[in-house]
Amino acid sequence: MAVFEFKSAQDLGRVLEQYGVKYLFFGKSGAILLGYSDTTQDVDLYVDKQRENCEKVVAALLELGFRLTENEQEEIGRGKDFVQLRNGPFDVDLIFAPDGIERFDDAWKRRVEKHGFPIASMDDIIGSKQAANRQKDRESLPRLLSFREWLRGNK
Amino acid sequence: MANLQPNPAEWEDFEAAAKRPIEQHIRNSFVHTYKPVLDDAEYRSFNSMEEYRRWCKENLPYWLGYSRD
Repeated sequence: MAVFEFKSAQDLGRVLEQYGVKYLFFGKSGAILLGYSDTTQDVDLYVDKQRENCEKVVAALLELGFRLTENEQEEIGRGKDFVQLRNGPFDVDLIFAPDGIERFDDAWKRRVEKHGFPIASMDDIIGSKQAANRQKDRESLPRLLSFREWLRGNK
Repeated sequence: MANLQPNPAEWEDFEAAAKRPIEQHIRNSFVHTYKPVLDDAEYRSFNSMEEYRRWCKENLPYWLGYSRD
């Protein structure tokens, strides 16, 4: 599996845009695109769960080189809440119903555009981690909160 | 609630990261480390986040940090 480089993010963004997918970079990967310094393994994408949008995601993933069986394509197209992909050029988690966020459209309105990517706001990234409340979320929250404060002072 | 006081050492990190080219920043940030069980399947899907959380709790090593306990 190739390492996720900035070019990977550009390819991902370009193909998702080409297919008209409504999505946001989310989680720690979203924060990293906003400048956060930490490490992560995979890309988290918050995807609008409308049926048509899910079908567009499938087409975009296939173009990007993800190996999806017909059943997997059908599952994603039908709409799941969470899909973990380790069968492509980089690791991606598709999140259709993140903890702490009621509606995609609300997160979309609060999004930040940076480097040409739509990225969830730090408030939504932090809020979702607070709602998920896993051990790894609790450990990462102080630094994420610190980054949000830093970001506010550097706008 | 986590401490909201600025941490000077962290802010220095953020400032340093902001000065790096985005290509370098991304290269430094996305590091692949094998996670047992989690990375052993090419594809997984869950009908709900509750189902996903339950699967994590029942299947992943505790030390990976995916548990809410």
